[in-house]
Amino acid sequence: MATRLQFENNCDIGVFSKLTNGYCMVAIGGSESFYSVFESELGGVIPVVKTSIAGTRIVGRLCAGNKNGLLLPHTTTDQELQHLRNSLPDQVVVQRIEEKLSALGNCIACNDHVALTHTDLDRETEEIIADVLGVEVFRQTIAGNILVGSFCALSNRGGLVHPHTSIEDLDELSTLLQVPLVAGTVNRGSEVIAAGMIVNDWTSFCGSDTTATELSVIESVFKLRDSQPSVIVDEMRKSLIDSYV
Amino acid sequence: MWEQQFSKFDGGAASRTILPQKTIQNFFHETLIFAHQREPSQSVPPSRNRRSSTSPQLFSVFEMPRKPRRKQRPKSWPVTFSPFARALARMASVSKPNRRSKSIESSEKPTRSSTSNGSSKHTLEERPEGSESSDGEFDGVVQADFAFFDPKPNDFHGVKTLLQTYLDVEEWDLSGFADLILEQTTVGTVVKVEDDEDEGVFALATALNLWRYREQRCIMKLKEFLLLKASQEKGVGDQLRLLLGERAHNVGLLVSQRVVNLPPQLLPHLYDSLFNEVSWATEDEPTEDLRNSFQFKHYIILSKIYKHKNAEQQKRKRSDDREEEIVYVKPEDEIFHELSSWSFCFPLRTQQPAPHELKNYRSMGLIMTVEADKIPTFRQQLTSLINEG
Repeated sequence: MATRLQFENNCDIGVFSKLTNGYCMVAIGGSESFYSVFESELGGVIPVVKTSIAGTRIVGRLCAGNKNGLLLPHTTTDQELQHLRNSLPDQVVVQRIEEKLSALGNCIACNDHVALTHTDLDRETEEIIADVLGVEVFRQTIAGNILVGSFCALSNRGGLVHPHTSIEDLDELSTLLQVPLVAGTVNRGSEVIAAGMIVNDWTSFCGSDTTATELSVIESVFKLRDSQPSVIVDEMRKSLIDSYV
Repeated sequence: MWEQQFSKFDGGAASRTILPQKTIQNFFHETLIFAHQREPSQSVPPSRNRRSSTSPQLFSVFEMPRKPRRKQRPKSWPVTFSPFARALARMASVSKPNRRSKSIESSEKPTRSSTSNGSSKHTLEERPEGSESSDGEFDGVVQADFAFFDPKPNDFHGVKTLLQTYLDVEEWDLSGFADLILEQTTVGTVVKVEDDEDEGVFALATALNLWRYREQRCIMKLKEFLLLKASQEKGVGDQLRLLLGERAHNVGLLVSQRVVNLPPQLLPHLYDSLFNEVSWATEDEPTEDLRNSFQFKHYIILSKIYKHKNAEQQKRKRSDDREEEIVYVKPEDEIFHELSSWSFCFPLRTQQPAPHELKNYRSMGLIMTVEADKIPTFRQQLTSLINEG
């Protein structure tokens, strides 16, 4: 299920939020309506954490994470780090790393199994990513762009990449990532996919300018049409069995 | 009429402007011939060849030697919205540079002779910059050709960016508003760089009839916003309500937004083309309703200014104080403000950190109304303001 929303008239919601299978981070300072959309979709299933990173609201672009861990730039303050450690589930390892490319969200695209990174990332950072996030790391470009984190949105079930990605690149990336990929746009033709949308295995949020066509592409590649968080599926199963009795 | 005006521009004052790259330090004012490219719009009957001709009418061209670029888009267009940049732009537009180098000038001008109508170009002072640096490096200034276009659906993102702070932090149907502006191709101008593959929008000017679009969500929200701000101000609330309600048939919302350091020489031409289009639309539109909808009697303008924080103390120490009470972000706002029937300010909720020159000022929104018969005066005053500045 894909939902459209805005952050203060801005359709780049991937800049102000971060969504994984284990948690969701949202920027502070926006109106309550932004926060409440997340609460209504995700509330109870995964924690929705309001935070800033390095005193800024661009939390989506500064951090990278999946259900196993979260990586924060060196500019994160101690209070923010502590707040995140307290609010996120215990199994999520929160780590602040010393990397000169501090916009980790722009440099790293990852799901729960594999990560694509900026070609100029440090060796140590690559090892930390593999450790903390529990993924296999590949240095790649997408449509010739080194900011892989910006130009693709990735989940465990599919991926959406920059519209100008060639077929050969799509095949290569798809083999590396082991998920189906499609080249497309979001927010009415914007190429910066990760800024325009966030996604996890059962839900996605897109900027409100996203057209119906773009939304249907997103729902089909990420297999969102008939997916629900597993907790709800289990509950449904119980009630179905009851009805037979 | 169009051709006459064309030759008038052509012989008149001309200056070329080169846009600086990241910092706005050097503002070269040079020969300026405007490029005005009109695509034949469907509402114009083909018999009236007022605007379209076989070749695009270039009436201002800036040189543009392009350097090959890396895949990462370089920040060659100084799209800055910070007050710091605005203040620098204000200072830079006053100062004039000193370098001269004719030889580079002549070799970089293959396209300048390609204007239609056999117009002669008057080059006043030629001051090119020498920026033949290596691939990916910029000397600090970039030359640009500006062209005026009709709004097109492609311009959606550029127009939306320019209108981001139009209603302060209010959540409203901004995309719908941008779409509305782009659909009205008969009246409305978008300033872009000619042959720019990025199609960045640098300025926008249009006039929207508040009655014609009264059902649109964005216009309804906009009216609510204006009335809310006016309710805090004595006296003007009722007048505004009249203009937005009963008299809306003849009221136009004048929307004019641009990047902060757009060369001011473009402004008279931008407003001329806007008001010309309005008067042509009163004759050229296919239905009588549409023709009447452009017979504006009043224009409402929503803009931003900087007001001195200690406005009262200002009046007392006028003798030794050189600071102005109001600093206008857009120069034409000063003229509009003088000619307005009424106006009022309201505080803005977003307060950006002010640059050093503007540290005693607070940014405020300004709503004013100008009667349509004052527009010719405005056009004259704007031209003289820009020419002397």
